[in-house]
Amino acid sequence: MPEIQIRHAIRDAMREEMTRDDRVFLMGEEVGHYKGAYKCSEGLLEEFGERRVIDTPIAETGFAGVGIGAAMAGLRPIIEFMTFNFSAVAFDQILNNAAKIHHMTNGQHSVPMVFRGPNAGAHMLGSTHSQAFEPFYAHIPGLIVVAVATPYDAKGLLKTAIRDPNPVIFLESELMYGVKGEVPEEEYLIPLGVADTKRSGDDVTVITWGQGVPVALKAAELAAEQGIECDVIDLRTLRPLDMESVLESVRRTNRAIVLFHGWPYGGVGCEIIAQIQEQAFDHLDAPVLRVCYEDVPMPYAENLENLVLPTPERGLAAIREVSYAR
Amino acid sequence: MATVVELPRLTDTMEEGVIAQWHVAVGDKVKRGQVIAEIETDKATMEFESFDAGIVLKLVAEEGETLEIGAAIAVFGKKGEDAAATLASWTGGAAAAAPEAAAAPAATQAEAAVPEPAAEAAPSSSAADERIPASPVARRLARESGLELSSIPGSGPHGRVIKADVLKAAGAAKASPKSAKLEVARPKSTPATGKDVDHDGRPYASFEDRAIKLTPMRKTIAKRMTQSKRDIPHINLTIPIFMDAAAAVRKELNGVLAGVKISFNDILIYAVAKALREHPRVNACYTPEGLIEYGDVHVGVAVAVEGGLVVPVVRFADQKTLKRISLDIRDLGKRAKDKSLKPAEMTGSTFTVSNLGMFGIESFTAVINPGEGAILAVGRIADEAVVEGGEVVIRKVMRATLCSDHRVFDGADNARFLATLKKILEAPMSLFT
Repeated sequence: MPEIQIRHAIRDAMREEMTRDDRVFLMGEEVGHYKGAYKCSEGLLEEFGERRVIDTPIAETGFAGVGIGAAMAGLRPIIEFMTFNFSAVAFDQILNNAAKIHHMTNGQHSVPMVFRGPNAGAHMLGSTHSQAFEPFYAHIPGLIVVAVATPYDAKGLLKTAIRDPNPVIFLESELMYGVKGEVPEEEYLIPLGVADTKRSGDDVTVITWGQGVPVALKAAELAAEQGIECDVIDLRTLRPLDMESVLESVRRTNRAIVLFHGWPYGGVGCEIIAQIQEQAFDHLDAPVLRVCYEDVPMPYAENLENLVLPTPERGLAAIREVSYAR
Repeated sequence: MATVVELPRLTDTMEEGVIAQWHVAVGDKVKRGQVIAEIETDKATMEFESFDAGIVLKLVAEEGETLEIGAAIAVFGKKGEDAAATLASWTGGAAAAAPEAAAAPAATQAEAAVPEPAAEAAPSSSAADERIPASPVARRLARESGLELSSIPGSGPHGRVIKADVLKAAGAAKASPKSAKLEVARPKSTPATGKDVDHDGRPYASFEDRAIKLTPMRKTIAKRMTQSKRDIPHINLTIPIFMDAAAAVRKELNGVLAGVKISFNDILIYAVAKALREHPRVNACYTPEGLIEYGDVHVGVAVAVEGGLVVPVVRFADQKTLKRISLDIRDLGKRAKDKSLKPAEMTGSTFTVSNLGMFGIESFTAVINPGEGAILAVGRIADEAVVEGGEVVIRKVMRATLCSDHRVFDGADNARFLATLKKILEAPMSLFT
């Protein structure tokens, strides 16, 4: 199997779907001539032309709204946000139109589209450009939220997201576009709402997604050196949640932590922990802990930023704590 | 004719070794001088270069196995030769006598391994509905196995009963994944008094003892330190030394010297070396036939490493420059940590300095390294209020304790050496004359 970067997995997914279905088109800032701010749409303008690879003005409310209208009219738009930080400008369109139209028209209209782009802190981008948007979007009934951490998952899930009849928020990572991994040459799809166990163990369940995945895997490696074996579950889809995978694991390990790039208060981590205690209370041997950002705006200074981000060492400390390791 | 490869003596003081790693496998062709294994000795992990050539017929010793010098570790020979026959007819090495002796304690150990007494029952005073902190899974398991939560010692935070506690109480504790099974004879745990309950009448949690196998380094430390404390009458004298001038010199030197950062320890080692040259009786050792005053000044520097300590040697320290000493100590210290020091670099010291100042220790006594007459134990440097001429002034004070062998010299010699050391360190420019 060839090894490719996540950015190329995303491009290949879009190219295959645009080839397969001429209703699919890409729209956003710098997606055409500049090939995408992170080079995720390299070659698409040349292949599909300006009608299907559309450079927009810096006007997120506008092009998100145009995309929603196009989807209602029967097309399959992919809207790229240069980063999800800028999706805040289009929040009203996503919250009130994309997520609600199917419901409010009693199914007369649907909004089959994808909003995609990088999410969460990267490196020294300051507090306004380091935000983690999954709690905002996963909060909203009517949206599907995906977060990917490997080229294989990125390609398989993006293709499924483009074909899905619902609006999908597709979260990528600026730090991970260059991450390489094996991707089959033949076509494949990954269903939405199915988690993937990226490492197996019977002592502690580590639940993670997106940018948290490599941190969690490293933490699990450190724990294994101390004789603690972790199940590392990459949720891949944050709404709907694959709680069956999580609960099966927690019932086996009796201990869990949630490790993610994002803030603790009112986040996806809280939802997972709430469901664990609702559905597996009698299986818990320790409180479920979160390893995530500190509850402050992301600092710009590198030394301070490093203190806020989740690290394998902080992950290990939480794993040891829930294991009552001495 | 096949050859039996024996465990070689790799350092002067080595009595046994551990095959840390084999570099060859059965069937490999080995040349003379080829590294065939890494062997952990009392001092360092060393590469074993083969004295013999041939095909590896059998690896007798396993990785991690502790063996005496001369024990058979492998058989080399020509293809098709019988390793078992060679071993059977082999008579050399120390191993021949060893097996029976080694087997005996193992047997007694097995008999001694009595099962631990079950957790004692708690007084049944606690009310049934009293809130016992317990994890949900522990609560459920206790209920399912018909155990009273109040009778189970809780090992979690604030005495929380956790799953492991219930399993232990139910006698079904699965072995913790990290507890390696060590065959070490150990004393029995503290016996229960029958009163080990807290104010609520709940039993305290008891944790497993951990048996840690002795490494060659630990064995050497145990042997030499016991020998020293048993045979050497130690006398210990402490002197306060004002380090203000040394601090100023250090700051000035670090401002002008490139490629080196002088530490207080570097200055101390240099001053000790100079003082030893002035007091040869302190640079000496006791033998039943007579005292030996060493001609050279080789200062050992105790370095804490993972699992013990080593004492690399700054040779000819009195004749070196301060910069050279600093570079030597940095290099030796770094290589001590990654265990790549050669045995020669850890032998031949005539005097040792042990510095625990970096841990905030004020003063302490050390144990003399056998073969030497004294060891200097040095504490931290700290600002202290000192009375001088009726005034209270602030001085940087360091306390140095000379621990010496009373058979070699007496308290007054000891004091004179310390006075010289104090004089040098309080006027450190004298180091450069």
